[in-house]
Amino acid sequence: MTMLRPLLWMVAVLAVWECALRVAPDNLLISSPSAIAGYVSNNAALLARATLETSVNAAWGFVWGNLVAVILGTTIIVFPRSERTLSALSLLVFCVPLIASGPILRVLFGPGSGPQITLAALAVYYTTLLALLVGLRAVSQSWTDLMRIYDRGPVSTLIRVRARASLPYLFVGLQISAPAAFLGAMIGEFTGAERGLGVLTLRAMRGLDTDATWALAFFSAMIAMAAYGLMGWLGRRLVGYRPVILLSAPAAPTHRSACMRVSEIGFIIALVLILWQLSMDAFDLNRYFAKRPGDVWIFLTDAANRNTLLSALAETMSFAAPGYLAGLALGAGLAAMLVLWPALNRAAMPVAVALRAVPIITTAPLLVLAFGRGLIGTTVVVAVMIFFPTFVACHQGLRQTPGQIVDLFRSYDAGRWHLLRAAQFPAMLPALFASARMAVPAALLAVTTVEWLATGKGVGVLMAMTASTSNYNMLWSCVAILAVVAMAVYSAVAALERAVLRVYASEQLS
Amino acid sequence: MTQPVHLTRRFFLQTSAAGVATTAAGVPAFAATSVNFQLSWLHSVQFGGSYIAVQKGYWTDQNLDVSLSQGGPNAPVEPPVVSGAALVGISAADYTAAAVAEGAPFKIIAVAMQKNPFAIASLADNPVNSPADLVGRRIGMAVANTPVLDALCTLNNVDINDIEIVPTQYDPAPLVSGQVDCLLCWETDLPVAMTVQGVDNTTMLMADHGYALHSQTYIATEDALANRRADLVALLRGEVRGWNDYLADTDAAAALTVEMFPDAGLDPQTQKLQAARQVPLMFSDLTAEKGFGWFTEDTVAANIETLALLGREVSADLWDRSILEEVHG
Repeated sequence: MTMLRPLLWMVAVLAVWECALRVAPDNLLISSPSAIAGYVSNNAALLARATLETSVNAAWGFVWGNLVAVILGTTIIVFPRSERTLSALSLLVFCVPLIASGPILRVLFGPGSGPQITLAALAVYYTTLLALLVGLRAVSQSWTDLMRIYDRGPVSTLIRVRARASLPYLFVGLQISAPAAFLGAMIGEFTGAERGLGVLTLRAMRGLDTDATWALAFFSAMIAMAAYGLMGWLGRRLVGYRPVILLSAPAAPTHRSACMRVSEIGFIIALVLILWQLSMDAFDLNRYFAKRPGDVWIFLTDAANRNTLLSALAETMSFAAPGYLAGLALGAGLAAMLVLWPALNRAAMPVAVALRAVPIITTAPLLVLAFGRGLIGTTVVVAVMIFFPTFVACHQGLRQTPGQIVDLFRSYDAGRWHLLRAAQFPAMLPALFASARMAVPAALLAVTTVEWLATGKGVGVLMAMTASTSNYNMLWSCVAILAVVAMAVYSAVAALERAVLRVYASEQLS
Repeated sequence: MTQPVHLTRRFFLQTSAAGVATTAAGVPAFAATSVNFQLSWLHSVQFGGSYIAVQKGYWTDQNLDVSLSQGGPNAPVEPPVVSGAALVGISAADYTAAAVAEGAPFKIIAVAMQKNPFAIASLADNPVNSPADLVGRRIGMAVANTPVLDALCTLNNVDINDIEIVPTQYDPAPLVSGQVDCLLCWETDLPVAMTVQGVDNTTMLMADHGYALHSQTYIATEDALANRRADLVALLRGEVRGWNDYLADTDAAAALTVEMFPDAGLDPQTQKLQAARQVPLMFSDLTAEKGFGWFTEDTVAANIETLALLGREVSADLWDRSILEEVHG
């Protein structure tokens, strides 16, 4: 019976969908379930080969990206002083848009699957790192004290205590990042890959092959959902329980003088600039397309260039902000709805995973068609991009409301709304804020993509124009300014987070 | 129990001895030069002549081992060529002029599309047949192409402010769904897709209204022109032979493209239509007389004028016909 009901629902949805299109058959942009099935059965071999190609690349990227996340995470735990620097560098690398990294990766790797694997790895490492860091810290003080009494160092503590404690968190991180790896591999195919689902998607859209476009979107969504499910199942099998909290607040600031903070920011900026210069020099990347910090600096000393960039940035931010807030609200709202009406769980979860898993390049045109090219359309696309991780995190957060408190509310016969407002919502706040930080780079990525595809304004267009104008100075200036904005917003959210959690969840700040 | 032949020790010794012998004796015969040839977009019959050159061995005949690297939305042509990862790339005169202005040492060494493929596509029941028809219409295009539309307007005395530009992705959906009245696109891709899907459409080729700009141009660096002339000549020679075969039978070129790239999801009918449709763009009286890829002082001068309208000041030095002269000489 429990298996039957969702099945019946699915059949009903498919039937309505099919009938709606039978009624309005002139629609060239929306495909019917039967047409999708027809395309899949006619092109089964092609789809199988493309799926295999993209999946293998995604899997390698998943392995490499998560390996890097584990190395970074353990380094930060063993050398806590490195945390700010490493976190900042990780966030910056995560912020570099594909349009800047694509050509470099293709030149570095040549033909083959190098860029696809790298982009899949880049899509996952940051999410996993954030989750893992929380896990590595989620050990009780008495254990670390015990290790200290026996005169064991941080490495020994890491191996004997923290590694075990971090596993459930690691698996949650892996679970969220599994669909992202698939998406990263597909987007990576836009850099000139020979085969794969991303290549097929591009062709289908240009060829106005609606059935193919929908079939491919459906297929990639199914695979991403399968990966999500598989990681969840593995986590339950290997670890046996889900962690109580998903993500927690950034480490509380120890008492540091303003002078120290400024010098720390200065150090990080200097380090980033040096790494930027050295990594490009090390691979002997041609200055024509791999601009160094000095080139960007000279370019930006020209007031006209600066004004172009800043006015584009203002446009971008005015579109990104509503989408960012809407995405967070949607994620938290859906999570709350599922707590109020648990029956929705089965229906909502697959939709949520699917929305995230279908590549933005396929969904964006449809969303734009439905919601227009203005503020609303952009807001919807950005919101869709960031809502999924927020939803998963908040869903976890809501469930961590202590059982005794819930029982207390129940025994006083409090309604579920009351319970949500007074107990569950505060319990969700740490997870919500952690997602709000994670969503910053994702929102910027989404808004620049929509600008390129639909609105024709802002930083996204400045970057997209590079393809025809070869203005790589402008491209790298955009990269730099987006990174600065991401860091600034991220820090602002983190500051807000500390202020709010001090009131609602002070244990997170210990 | 006998072992299969290829696993016996004797077989192994024999074959490895043979291998050593060929390595020792056959170096000159087998040491083909490997070069990368960077295409400007995903594999399709757009590059049909190159596929024929591969299939018929027009490059291996000359000891050249050519890998065709396809392009894509995030795979610009210029970086691999400038960095030497590719010997030759397929670009267009405006892209090349921009890259040169940004410091890339490129020359245009041959021109595949004599006529620029940019067109205004519209639906048959709401057609745009001349630049004047654009007035009051909504045009869907990438904002990056605004200079192209601007140049067309200037050439035909149309005020660009009378046209509503709607930024769209490069796909026919916005036109078909009525979000725009026309599209700025290539003559050979989106209109073909619409025709195949049964959408009745019409196109106005910008080249027929004064927009003279070489497209699908072969670019190489000054360094390659100085130091790898033999490879460049061999590569272009194979191209010329391939494209001559293409002209003789475009259907065969389309069939070969579909067969060569089974993982690309190419539609045979679309490829066939596209193959025929790009012939008038690539082959002209000039190429009939002088050979595939040719350009003259006059066509270059016309290009320089159009480039000036696009805001690019270039001289005739951007073009270098020496390789082509050797090929056709």
